[in-house]
Amino acid sequence: MFHEERPEMAEHPMITRRRLLGLFGAAAALPVLSACGSSVGGSGSGPAAGGDRTVKVGLVVPQSGVYAALGTDMQRGWELWLADNGGTFGDYTVETVIADEGETPQTGVPAVQKVLQSDGVDVVVGLVNSATALGVRDLLTESKKLLIVTNAGAEAVTSTSRTPYIWRSSFTNGQIAAAMGAHLAQSGFSEGVYAIAPDYAAGTEVITAFTKAFETGGGRVVGQAKTPFGTTSDYQPFLTGIQGSGARATFCFYSGSEAINFVKQYGQFGLASTIPLYGSGFLTEGNVLPQQGDASLGVQTTLHYTDQLDNPANRAFVGAYTAKHGEAPSCFSVQTWDAANVLNRALGSATALDGDALAAALGGVGTIEDSPRGPWTFENQTPRQNIYLRKVENSGGTLVNSVVEDLGPQSQPAA
Amino acid sequence: MLVSVLNGFAIGFLLFILAVGLSIVFGMMDVLNLAHGALFLAGAYLGAAFAGSWGGFLAALGIAAVGGLAAGAVLSLMTEPLRKRSHLDQALLTLGVAFVVAELLVIVFGDDPLSVAAPPALNGSVSVFGATYPAYRLVLIGVGAALAVAVYLVVERTLVGALVRATVADREMVATLGIDNRRVRAAVFAVGSLLATTAGVLGGPIYGARPGLDATVLILALVVVVIGGLGSVRGALVGALIIGQVDTLGRVLLPEFASFILFAALALVLVLRPQGLFGGPKSVGAR
Repeated sequence: MFHEERPEMAEHPMITRRRLLGLFGAAAALPVLSACGSSVGGSGSGPAAGGDRTVKVGLVVPQSGVYAALGTDMQRGWELWLADNGGTFGDYTVETVIADEGETPQTGVPAVQKVLQSDGVDVVVGLVNSATALGVRDLLTESKKLLIVTNAGAEAVTSTSRTPYIWRSSFTNGQIAAAMGAHLAQSGFSEGVYAIAPDYAAGTEVITAFTKAFETGGGRVVGQAKTPFGTTSDYQPFLTGIQGSGARATFCFYSGSEAINFVKQYGQFGLASTIPLYGSGFLTEGNVLPQQGDASLGVQTTLHYTDQLDNPANRAFVGAYTAKHGEAPSCFSVQTWDAANVLNRALGSATALDGDALAAALGGVGTIEDSPRGPWTFENQTPRQNIYLRKVENSGGTLVNSVVEDLGPQSQPAA
Repeated sequence: MLVSVLNGFAIGFLLFILAVGLSIVFGMMDVLNLAHGALFLAGAYLGAAFAGSWGGFLAALGIAAVGGLAAGAVLSLMTEPLRKRSHLDQALLTLGVAFVVAELLVIVFGDDPLSVAAPPALNGSVSVFGATYPAYRLVLIGVGAALAVAVYLVVERTLVGALVRATVADREMVATLGIDNRRVRAAVFAVGSLLATTAGVLGGPIYGARPGLDATVLILALVVVVIGGLGSVRGALVGALIIGQVDTLGRVLLPEFASFILFAALALVLVLRPQGLFGGPKSVGAR
């Protein structure tokens, strides 16, 4: 499964193709936009005085491009919560408008603008891409509407670029990496770990947070590499670097096709048997795991969720999800499920549907006890949550991320 | 270190198989075929669909070869009316074809990245220079070298090759000899496309198959062609081997410049020898 944004695509020559497609998409969307504006304008805002009340939610998730699979998982999580709760948030009937985030801010920002301005939604939920989440800040601030980010893990969303109108139900890149840094420092690897990640914003955040936590715990990073993002398919040169560094373990951050190639080649070039591989959970999450096959066995990762978690909420969630879709849920499903979950709580106490009232209400929701990921709370508008150490194992012919250890509640790392 | 040199040869020969078709089609027919990467990706997906056994692998190679020939013939027909138009028009047409092929592949194979297993017996690793190295890549070096020799001999030492080189040098003169150069063009286009789809099947176990891979390999192929010189088999070979080494050895020695080192090599060649190492205003065949 892919993780997260790829803003650097914008600088890559291959963008010519994407940009062309984007232009066509934008051109095609124009008449639709104006049509929406005239027909839907003015509907569905604010609590009606008495009578039936409706809250209109814009679910902006990728339906096309390389993150489409994430968008599918997210939409399923959202719909599952609503299906289990009668399609309502308390007294409010939920009306969901879905828009395609696409891959980049060039498609994501207009999608958010569309649901806000043409569809007149009260709340926006979604966003995989961090650049998009950062790019819609002013839109939401000006319209005073609430956004719950259900993936985008950039630290800045809830730190340097924080606004009262943007909350997050997912994770931060550094939160997950720092947990692994602290863990490895205490696990006999403090003498030397090699850190490797793609050369783009999220990769840098991960390596920075990991290194800081690992060194705070007394560990020493003996080498690091940043691989060209989105274009690296052969990791042999970097694997040779890891072998020559004298590292006792490797920490990495890859997702999607890069995760598949890295994990497979890590085994093919003989590193897996001598230098154990650790990583952020997206390395082995979702659809990449069966593609990695046996090469992924024994790889250990940190993440805020695994479908193997043993708690009543998760058992019910995995059961319902699997029954409906024939595959286990991913962290992306849970993050969006939880967005519905917290909105429901907020609407129980909110005085209005504008961003200020909802933000105030979200600030008072307290601990979310019934999430499949375990209990978590909002801290600076992003989850303070338990991070789990997971290990890839073969469970009856299926590769799964088993829980090795609960590393306890973790905050977003301080900048 | 030695293992990186070895790996550079594996990547280099793969790039040669990919790039030589692009180079000949461009050099000879003056058609910039931006669908070349999409053909590679089609081959990679074929490999993914049939992977797991020798039968499947060979079947994928066979289907890729036939499909590549057919695709090349179709592309030749499509670009024929644009022969007198600018490169931009040809690029737009073949780019459009590349989009369509890429979307069709997503529709058929889905948009999740796929891994491709090497054929049995080559799926493991062997010890080379004291390092562990995937067996498949060793074999790929041999296959790539054999293909390079074969292409070189055909272009340089056979009547067909002479015809091809003559058509590059002077199309009208060949036509006056009573040879329909459209057929030569179609044949060259078909063989060039065959090499692209074959490279896709062969490259699958290394690169996998995923949406967007077509653009990545197309850029690599263009870099090889620019470095080696247009229309030159020898140039494509040397360019591919250089890029293979730059992309592996260069990244081992200068990991912090990994993102730039490939294009730094390209810039260096463009500054010192703009026509490419083996190219020239009158580029002919396998000089």
